[in-house]
Amino acid sequence: MSQVSSTSTGTRAASCVIEPSQTLTISASANAGRQEVLPVIEVAVLIIAAVAPLLLQDYITVYATRVLILCLFALSFDLVWGYAGILSLGQSLFFGMAGYGVALLSRDFNVASIFAVIPLGTLIGFVAALLLAGFLLLGRHASSIVFVSLGTMTGAYAADRLAGGSYYLGGQNGIPSIQSMSIGSYALSEGPAFYYLALVILILVYLSSRFLLRSQFGLALAGLRENEQRIAFFGYKVQHLKAIIFAIGGAIAGIAGSLYAFHEGFVWTTMLGVVMSTQVVLYVLFGGSGTLIGAVIGTAIVEGLSFWLSDNYRDIWPIILGVLLLLVILFRPLGLISLVLGERERVGTFGPSPKEIRNAAS
Amino acid sequence: MDTLFIAAFEVLSFGAIVVLVVLGLGIIASMMGIFNFAQGEFVLLGAYITYLVHSIGLPVALGMLAAPIAVGALGLALERLVVRRFYAAPIVAMLGTYALGLIIREVVRGLTGGLYLSVPEPVGGSITIGTLHFATWRCVIVVMTVLVMAASYALIAYTSLGLRVRASLENPSLARASGISTGMIYSVTFAFGAALAGLAGALIVPLFSLFADLGIRFVIQGFVAVMVGGVGSFAGPVAGASAIGTFSAALPWLMSPVIADVLVFVLAIIFIKVRPQGLVSGRGV
Repeated sequence: MSQVSSTSTGTRAASCVIEPSQTLTISASANAGRQEVLPVIEVAVLIIAAVAPLLLQDYITVYATRVLILCLFALSFDLVWGYAGILSLGQSLFFGMAGYGVALLSRDFNVASIFAVIPLGTLIGFVAALLLAGFLLLGRHASSIVFVSLGTMTGAYAADRLAGGSYYLGGQNGIPSIQSMSIGSYALSEGPAFYYLALVILILVYLSSRFLLRSQFGLALAGLRENEQRIAFFGYKVQHLKAIIFAIGGAIAGIAGSLYAFHEGFVWTTMLGVVMSTQVVLYVLFGGSGTLIGAVIGTAIVEGLSFWLSDNYRDIWPIILGVLLLLVILFRPLGLISLVLGERERVGTFGPSPKEIRNAAS
Repeated sequence: MDTLFIAAFEVLSFGAIVVLVVLGLGIIASMMGIFNFAQGEFVLLGAYITYLVHSIGLPVALGMLAAPIAVGALGLALERLVVRRFYAAPIVAMLGTYALGLIIREVVRGLTGGLYLSVPEPVGGSITIGTLHFATWRCVIVVMTVLVMAASYALIAYTSLGLRVRASLENPSLARASGISTGMIYSVTFAFGAALAGLAGALIVPLFSLFADLGIRFVIQGFVAVMVGGVGSFAGPVAGASAIGTFSAALPWLMSPVIADVLVFVLAIIFIKVRPQGLVSGRGV
């Protein structure tokens, strides 16, 4: 998505880089005096999310919890695609592997403490993503984007098939009736408590991602997405950057997967497969890739619409979804968020603004 | 000995099916630089049209004739309306054609009611050579694949239309300067690729029966085959498809089908990693 429309931004951002005294500080644009929309949207979404369980009926809160967990999953895809330009069509691999991992932990070792489950899920996602990135992204030749997307998709397909054929993993039926997650002696069942747990984790992950992306590392990533070659010429190890963000994305997908497994109470092969991976692509494209809040909003809208529509229009809902997606890709390649968010703010500012630098110099 | 012949025939006929499905995908990918994620759904649509013609009481063979024409026409319309906007950005094209595929798949799912529908073979029975029996329809598919392949090759390598297609791939601006309407050429190429997929769907539907997810299975296989073969030439995707088809059909004789299925893809990805340009490198025919 971003490749298309942001070439001009990439050029602009890079053209104001070179000033001998400050090679490391880049300011994409002077935002001073401009109303910032992004924080407003973020706060609004946060408030809605925080009060939602108080207003919604219980069964909708359960549904909303699932949406929050999927938001987390969407963030992981947004990081690798929206920020680093890696088209991972197998993000569900990490989601599902973590889900299966914690389900086995619960089934075979009878461990369901949140302090074991979340770290394990994160670790599984991180390690799996790191290994896959090591194979797909690193190496003598830089991998083409089509190869990476094909490789990740194949990974998800293979995992789906293998899990479906494995007796130990429960075959096509997956692993049913996972016990409730526990915090100390408190058993966490679905409902408002689980909702707020998911919300807190989502906020923590969101804020850390936001921090990461506004750091020097995030700046390099944004440059990578806009113009990979130029970033390579600056001396960054492009493939390493990609592998790192891919592994971080995998870790976040792992957190989402382990939460999802305990929230649903069972894991099954779809969690690993291509269907789930493409689902997350839909969320992010819909909301707007390249902004963290876009991924969250996209997930909420798609899942919300599907909740309302699948009751009345179960048969044609997937068709409507396809048409909406096509329209968004054709006419709003940056997603729905671009209706309210300008290009300038999406790309963001890094470091002090030119004005501050001038003041400091004088 | 007999088993060996039977196995060899199985491998050959399945390889032919994969080549048939991948040919259209390969032509679009090589000649236009677009990875068409809706290709699997074009196959599905070809199968569905064959079923439709059969269900209103007309002969299946007529449906097989109608399928490539109808799917080709749809391909032309979609290229004009949608795909054309994606040429500047191949990645967006992948996502956009994915959305198209999703729409087609769900429409067919709605139309078939999510059922598995079977279509009879237009030519039943089997051919007997000595003590061996070969299903006639599988033989027909092998022969058709060879014919379609030869015809496509001749079209691209020897006709003036093929020359213009290759010119538009090689250097679009020079082609335009020489008076070739590249937009037109792209439309025709895309429609041709779609028609091939429609034909493939029509020919294989008696073997696989019709269900909405028919295309998904082939689209991953098709992409892997195109990448293994090498994008940019006519021979590449065909070579890749033969390799993938042969392995997919042969390995289940040696190990459990699930492992075999996965192993083919994993081996293919490793191969592409080691040799990114594919089996056949270079452009042209």
